[in-house]
Amino acid sequence: MSCSKKFVKRFIISLIGFALLNASVSAQGVTLYTPYTKIAVPPGETINYTIDVINHGNARKNVDIRVSAMPQGWTYDLKSGGWNVKQLSLLPGGKKTLSLKVNVPYKVKKGTFRFKVIAGSQVLPLYVEVSRQGTYKTDFTCKQTNMEGTSKSGFTFSTELKNLTGEKQRYALQSAAPRGWSVIFKPNYKQATSVEIEPNQKVNMTIEVKPPHSVQAGTYKIPVRVVTNNSSAALTLEVVITGNYDMELTTPTGLLSTKITAGDERKVELLVRNTGSAKLDNIQFLSTKPVNWEVTFDPKTVDELGPGQTAEVYATIKAYKKAVAGDYVAKIRARTPEVSSSVTFRITVKTPMLMGWLGIFIILVALGSVWYLFRKFGRR
Amino acid sequence: MTDTVEQIQASHGKGMTGRLRFVLFSGVRKKRENHVVHPFRVIVEREIGDQIRSWRFIILILIIALTTLGSLYTALTNISEAIKPDDPAGSFIFLKLFTISDGTLPSFIVFISFLGPLLGIGLGFDAVNSEHNNGTLSRLLAQPIHRDYIINAKFVGYLTVISEMFFALGFLVMGIGIIATGIAPSPEEFLRIVLFLLLSIIYVAFWLNMSIWFSVRFRQPATAALTGISVWIFFTVFYPLIVSLIMKGISNPAWVSNPSYQILLEKLKLGLMRFAPNVLFSEATGTLLMPTVRSLGPLTMEQIAGTVPGPLPLGQSVLLIWPHVTALISGTVLFFVLAYVPFMRREIRSR
Repeated sequence: MSCSKKFVKRFIISLIGFALLNASVSAQGVTLYTPYTKIAVPPGETINYTIDVINHGNARKNVDIRVSAMPQGWTYDLKSGGWNVKQLSLLPGGKKTLSLKVNVPYKVKKGTFRFKVIAGSQVLPLYVEVSRQGTYKTDFTCKQTNMEGTSKSGFTFSTELKNLTGEKQRYALQSAAPRGWSVIFKPNYKQATSVEIEPNQKVNMTIEVKPPHSVQAGTYKIPVRVVTNNSSAALTLEVVITGNYDMELTTPTGLLSTKITAGDERKVELLVRNTGSAKLDNIQFLSTKPVNWEVTFDPKTVDELGPGQTAEVYATIKAYKKAVAGDYVAKIRARTPEVSSSVTFRITVKTPMLMGWLGIFIILVALGSVWYLFRKFGRR
Repeated sequence: MTDTVEQIQASHGKGMTGRLRFVLFSGVRKKRENHVVHPFRVIVEREIGDQIRSWRFIILILIIALTTLGSLYTALTNISEAIKPDDPAGSFIFLKLFTISDGTLPSFIVFISFLGPLLGIGLGFDAVNSEHNNGTLSRLLAQPIHRDYIINAKFVGYLTVISEMFFALGFLVMGIGIIATGIAPSPEEFLRIVLFLLLSIIYVAFWLNMSIWFSVRFRQPATAALTGISVWIFFTVFYPLIVSLIMKGISNPAWVSNPSYQILLEKLKLGLMRFAPNVLFSEATGTLLMPTVRSLGPLTMEQIAGTVPGPLPLGQSVLLIWPHVTALISGTVLFFVLAYVPFMRREIRSR
């Protein structure tokens, strides 16, 4: 008997409990609804949920709204009508829309995360699947890391620097360019050596690279880095210098004048310097000179001259035998198919002394005849 | 000339009395108290003294000094116009004092080339014949001196007077130029001016010797003077006319378009003109005082191609005119010889 009594008692309790439960559902009559209950996002994504709160009951309902079991490091914002809401009051059959903004941090493990939105006694479980391993780092990217130009060009790289860490960071901007290269960082269009970025913010930064004056043709790698005390990011910029042709013709002393006696010749030392970044082949020498003058070169051509190298050439200038005394101009040109360079010589021509000696001889003969006359007639 | 005779006696210590000693210049006497003056020197000094006291010389020097000052005045008033920017001879401003004129009065070098012969002829035309006619020559020759001392001393004495005069005039022009313009001549300019003065002296010496030759050749001083002046006028006035006549006669109109024929004609004309001493002198002085002159003959475009207009160095200018200088010196010596030989061979009797 006691046994059956116990059973009855239990049954009644459970009956009452069931009735109570039913009563609470029907009594409260509030439903939380969102269509996207499980979504997959990358780290750092912000998810915007739209959650409808519906009152099925016949009475006005006040419900407390909260979010619980949010994973660590995740932040959220629950708003309705522009307000952060804690409690909603719903008319019978009324519907209210909540917007829930969830920020998935960058530093997050791959996997499925779960949190709940609770309205009164209603629980809405939401699942977020983080699609890949999250990071806790700085993102430094450049869309076009390779550029080509001559030794005289400047190279401007557009980069983007993102602070994906949770804190504000101050980045030091560094480059390890080869010697002679100039690398200028311009975050926010101003030349700087460091830049401060708020978390989850980015800065557009241009990097201006200038090659040294006497750079040779080739491909150059310019590593650039942004460094903080706990994070760093690196990028390797690539500059391809195409060869340019440039040549300089001069003399060892820089003296561009000389003297010649008419009919004589004068050897002039010339220097050809390859000031470009590419090899020069088959340099020829030409001259523009007064009529009947001769200019010969030794050697006649320079077969090959590397960048920065210098070759000696001797020009032999022969003045015309009957050249009138005075200053003349002779132009000497070194030429390759790609480039040419010239020097202008001022040549002072002197007349030979032969006529002068002849004149002196005639005068001496005349004076000698007078002396002879003195001797013959004078002393008697 | 009697003074000269007395001096010679004095200098030789024969009959050395106080009265004769007094004739010597006091400066000379002081210096040479215990020294016998060489007779040649005495004659030269006497000739100089005779010349600078003569009216003839004073008139000549006045003419030349006045024309010099006149040309200097025109040069000074026009020098600002003569200085042009980008002038290759821009660094030789001072030399322009001697060469520029505005057309109203000729420049200094033109005056010198014109009046220099007159000076030479004027000094020398009666050098020997007047002494001969006055009878002083035989008295002079009676002294124990070599005969050629007389003609040599005359030449040296006149040349000394001319040299001093030219240097005085040239330095006067330079000095006034420095005061008026405030520009000092550069060393090269100074050397060029000195060489120009030396050249002028040689040029006048040429005419002087010619004139002395005439004075030996002709007994009458008037004949000698007229002959000298006619030679001078012949070369300055008629000779260019004769040369252009000759050129007109020999030039063939059929070949005129040929440039080498033209050059040949031009060279021939220049060659003929250069027999005139005044042409030689003006070419030489022009080259000396205008350093941009490069050549004295015709220049072809071929020769000009590639040249830079600029002044010649002094040595090159001198080398360019050296043939002219040689010709003038040789002519001077030639006329001296022509005067010397007949003078030495002549029989001189007292009247």
